[in-house]
Amino acid sequence: MSSSTMPISQQSNDQSFQQPAHIRRVVLVGLLFLLVLCSTGILALMIGITAIAPGEVLTILFTDGGERVSRIVIWEVRLPRFLLGALAGAAMAVSGAMLQDALKNILAEPGLLGVSTGASLVVAVIVIFNVAVPFGTLPIFALIGGLGAGMVILFATRLTRDPVRMILIGAALGALFGALITVVVVLGSPDEIRVLYAFLVGSLIGRDWQDVQLVLPWIAVALPIAFFFGRPLNLLQLGDDMAEGLGLPVFRTRLIIFLVAISLNAAIVAVCGPIGFVALIAPHMVRGLLKTTDARQVLPISALLGAVLLTISDLLAREIFSPAELPVGLVTVAIGSPIALFLLRRLLAQR
Amino acid sequence: MIHSNVQTSKNNSIQLDDSRPFAVRRFALMLVMSGITIVMLVVLHITVGTLDFTPRQIVLALLNQAEDVVHRQVVFGLRLPRALVALVAGGMLGLAGAILQTITRNPLAEPGLMGVSSGAVLAIVLYIVFDAGGSIWDSADSGLILPFVGMVGGLIAGLTVYLLSYQRGSDPMRLVLVGVLIGGINTALISVVLLAAQDEDVQRIVRWTVGSTSGRVWVHWHTIWPIALAAIPLGLFSMSLANILQLGDSVALGLGLAIERTRFLLLCIAALLTAGAVAVVGGVGFIGLIGPHMARLMVGNDVRRLFPLSIVLTAILLIISDIVARTITIGWVGLITGLDIPDTAGLPVGAVTALLGAPFFLYLLLRGRSAL
Repeated sequence: MSSSTMPISQQSNDQSFQQPAHIRRVVLVGLLFLLVLCSTGILALMIGITAIAPGEVLTILFTDGGERVSRIVIWEVRLPRFLLGALAGAAMAVSGAMLQDALKNILAEPGLLGVSTGASLVVAVIVIFNVAVPFGTLPIFALIGGLGAGMVILFATRLTRDPVRMILIGAALGALFGALITVVVVLGSPDEIRVLYAFLVGSLIGRDWQDVQLVLPWIAVALPIAFFFGRPLNLLQLGDDMAEGLGLPVFRTRLIIFLVAISLNAAIVAVCGPIGFVALIAPHMVRGLLKTTDARQVLPISALLGAVLLTISDLLAREIFSPAELPVGLVTVAIGSPIALFLLRRLLAQR
Repeated sequence: MIHSNVQTSKNNSIQLDDSRPFAVRRFALMLVMSGITIVMLVVLHITVGTLDFTPRQIVLALLNQAEDVVHRQVVFGLRLPRALVALVAGGMLGLAGAILQTITRNPLAEPGLMGVSSGAVLAIVLYIVFDAGGSIWDSADSGLILPFVGMVGGLIAGLTVYLLSYQRGSDPMRLVLVGVLIGGINTALISVVLLAAQDEDVQRIVRWTVGSTSGRVWVHWHTIWPIALAAIPLGLFSMSLANILQLGDSVALGLGLAIERTRFLLLCIAALLTAGAVAVVGGVGFIGLIGPHMARLMVGNDVRRLFPLSIVLTAILLIISDIVARTITIGWVGLITGLDIPDTAGLPVGAVTALLGAPFFLYLLLRGRSAL
């Protein structure tokens, strides 16, 4: 396993020497995040307008007991929302980690590259113009929009290797799609506009089992596939020339990676809107914690951390101005923007 | 323009005045032609609307010789100020875009990416929703208060971007990217504010975010012309500085330019222009990107020709977009595609410029490495 990333045998010896300690750290961090995720879950099920005691939460979850109202609140409202948040966070984080490695760009994330906005545009068209789409196909349509933006970015990799310019191209693309969204929005009625804007910030408010059902198949398929791309992603981190030299068909690999990453993102955007910055932050935190950039380790741990981050953010969004709920996208923007600013400085210092 | 003539003829002093460089002669010609185009477009712009006028009636009305008093009211009271506001706002955005592209030396820089537009729109939206409720729409001074609020918001956003991106000197690229981030925050906040808005405010707010010239009358004109009169000459006076700055920091430093101060000055001018325009017509996008590029295609990179022509061409672009916005009906799109598109005759002008943005962006990408 180690020899595949380290072509020189001497180094692979060194690494196999370090491997056990490293793996232990990965497992430990993974377990820690899982624990945090579970406790966030319990908290998310307890807190709210009807507060429910932790004991009762467990009773309701694992037995048929508990008060009727509490059962409904947990099973029909809070649990699906929490699960959707966890799935969305995981998918976003993995998609961000893949894009960062594939583009060799620490600021790469679906939001800043215009991919989320592309997906949102399609959703906006469907909402405002009342396009009748069969249930379950919304992610496919969102995927078309996301891929449109993704292909432009992919094409742009042939024009410039400067990561800063790449982000600027993504931002311009995002601005373009954003402007087209407003064009569509103008044509809507006030009610539609409000629904759409709540969606455009990224929100988990009022999401139920139907929404979970909508994204679950996508994530169940795309997430495991994503984990198989650890090795090519590691090669792409070395730079296009090196990866090509090591026998990786760079353009084709990047295309497939984009397809997977954008599918993960588009499915979430279709249901929750373009929730920003989770995709950017989670992989970086994981790389810092694990002290490695090895994508095979970063991808799964990022998924866990993404789930943790988004569910905690949603908890905050629910509770800060309770009983009024904020869209979770606002919380992630508030947390994510300063971090993005910090990363931006690092990126420019690298130039 | 005269200044540039002197400069170039000094360089090749052997040549006669007739053999001025082609670019200079062409530039003069273009300015004249653009001027004529603008007058024609303004008349055309005034012609368009629910009431039909002949060009003769319009000219008579403008000269205060109208046959019918209604003509004068409609032409002079409603349509002329709208055309003038569009013209000036376009010119301001064009100059702002040209300045930004010059100092960042990046073809994708545009006023909308700097965070200033979205800051202005956010301030206006906040004011509409929270401070005044629905009442300001009826009050006579809404044309003064909203632009003022917008200006302040835009300049605060611009200053924030500058301060956040300042790190042992200002890097224009960093500035644009910080602007993108701040713009994202602003947009998220606008969305949230919109959620709290009254039904009757929602569509107006959206029109501010897209950018619209409808209902702009003399009050708005009186707000925008002083800003334009202050900022556009400032921009034109600093052309020679911008020319040096676009050679790159090291060259500019070698030529004895105070880089930081110059850049800050130019950014302030660009922010002022953007905030002033956006505060009156809303967040019209992309013309500040397209206009300067068209100008560059025609007269090249010399700022002394690029800036004036950017102003003129972008003004033309916005006027044309506004004419298109007022005339097209989009119901047929719905008929063809089967979508449920309402047949509104009055698209906001920002919608038209956004649609212009798409093909232009593709053009920039396809032009390839040199463009990006």
